[in-house]
Amino acid sequence: MPGDTQDSAIRVAGLTKRYGGVAAVDDLSFEVRAGAVTGFLGPNGAGKTTTLRILLGLARPTAGEAKIFDQPFAALADPVRTVGASLEISGFHPGRSGRNHLRSLAVLAGLPFSRVEEVLGLVELTGAADRRAGKYSMGMRQRLALASTLLGDPRVLVLDEPANGLDPQGIRWLRDFLRAIAAEGRTVLISSHVLSEVAQTVDDVIVIHHGRLVDEGPVDRLSGPQRVSVRSPRLADLAAAIERGGAEVSRSGDDVLIVSGLDAAQIGDLAFAAELPLHELAPHAASLEEVFLELTSDDLTPEAPEAPA
Amino acid sequence: MSRVLRSELLKLRTTRTALGFAVAGVLLVLLFVLVGVLSGNPRTIVDKRAILSIGDPLAVVLLIFGVVGATAEYRHRTVAAGALIVPSRLRLSIGRMVAYGLVGVAVGGLMLVVAFAIGLPLLADQSGPSLAGSDYVRAIVGSLLACGLGAMLGVGVGVLVANQVAAVTGTLVFLFVADPLIVAASANVGKFFFGSALMAVGGRGNGGHRLAFGPAVAVIIAWTAVVLIVAGWVDSRRDIS
Repeated sequence: MPGDTQDSAIRVAGLTKRYGGVAAVDDLSFEVRAGAVTGFLGPNGAGKTTTLRILLGLARPTAGEAKIFDQPFAALADPVRTVGASLEISGFHPGRSGRNHLRSLAVLAGLPFSRVEEVLGLVELTGAADRRAGKYSMGMRQRLALASTLLGDPRVLVLDEPANGLDPQGIRWLRDFLRAIAAEGRTVLISSHVLSEVAQTVDDVIVIHHGRLVDEGPVDRLSGPQRVSVRSPRLADLAAAIERGGAEVSRSGDDVLIVSGLDAAQIGDLAFAAELPLHELAPHAASLEEVFLELTSDDLTPEAPEAPA
Repeated sequence: MSRVLRSELLKLRTTRTALGFAVAGVLLVLLFVLVGVLSGNPRTIVDKRAILSIGDPLAVVLLIFGVVGATAEYRHRTVAAGALIVPSRLRLSIGRMVAYGLVGVAVGGLMLVVAFAIGLPLLADQSGPSLAGSDYVRAIVGSLLACGLGAMLGVGVGVLVANQVAAVTGTLVFLFVADPLIVAASANVGKFFFGSALMAVGGRGNGGHRLAFGPAVAVIIAWTAVVLIVAGWVDSRRDIS
């Protein structure tokens, strides 16, 4: 986006939010690159919404800070043109039409009604704009929420679980929509508990669990180091030989080893030197979903609470 | 502030809530005037003044209107949408309060037209002294003030409590149970509570223990200011979604 000269659009430092004795967000720190699309990932109850609400000045942190362009949200000179956010798809009066909902926000922001028509067109909701929002389908509600975030043509978009409740067509529409938004160079922070919903759209990911940072970085890095699956009738001997070669070995089923730390050629050489037969030698990278599930694997433990509604 | 005010007025125009309360107000005024004239047999100046002083019952309706409108922002989670554009929640609350006050005055004016259109011909047929011009002025000014201030106070209560059911129930219990009990226990104390003061502004009182018009207006303004300050303080510390 023109004018985004800072490296970080969003900076969260030591953020903590406690409800009673339970930490919904626990000493969380991360940065969101300006101009990047960043996935904010974690299972339900991980503290994503609480973090976003603090970032947007809707909740007070117990400790730490969250800033947008180095300022708390409340101190932004022109919030509506800086940040567009959608936290709740039910953030409208059910008896008010979609068009009038957006018009009330436009008046509040000092924007002309023509901008309302523009964003209605962007989210393809013009035809249903005069219907009462309470009668909208889930997909239409998501589109209305997205329209409200775009009203001020903001440099930063913060979207909380925008794919929630969408059918496959809706998810595809959302993906295309986010790609178009990202192509304009805006900074986008999009939360989700389903990595596949955003994996094709994001540049970076931030993964949190139980309110704490688990991993962050480019989405490509999240796929992790390459691993090699090896099949052999003499699996135990082969495992010992590979471990002597300095690699980590784990079993997958009765006759397959998963090896990390050596590539396929090195494993083949080791097997040849040890005179061990190989029936399969297949390099593969763990899928993003596998890595995500691995990072957030203890879901059976009690979840940290999201903020009360 | 004008943007907040215009946005709130647009919101009021685009749901049926205000219309519903206006209809309820018309029915209440019709009932109040017709029952007052036809069954009350008003002959004294005080009785005739009371017939046209619709601000008292109507202010209660508009107070609830304010409570419902302000709490609806939390119930439907539209309060966050506003705060994402205007981060100062106090500014939003003040704008909402002024908007509801203006609508309260407008509804009060409409109800006065209804009350006068029905009440004046009926009162003309009653015996006893006629109302003076000052009585009409007092009925009009008092009713409009009571309606406007009632709606504003309702918004303050709504922002303070946030939960719609609790706020509406609490307000009704206070007005119809606690306030009369306080007045019964000590009229000198009770006259300073907003239920009694609204009666005094609206045109009626509780016997000889009501406040005069001016002090009653001051008491309602003071209650509104106190509730707004407390509500603003509470709301600024409240996590919203």
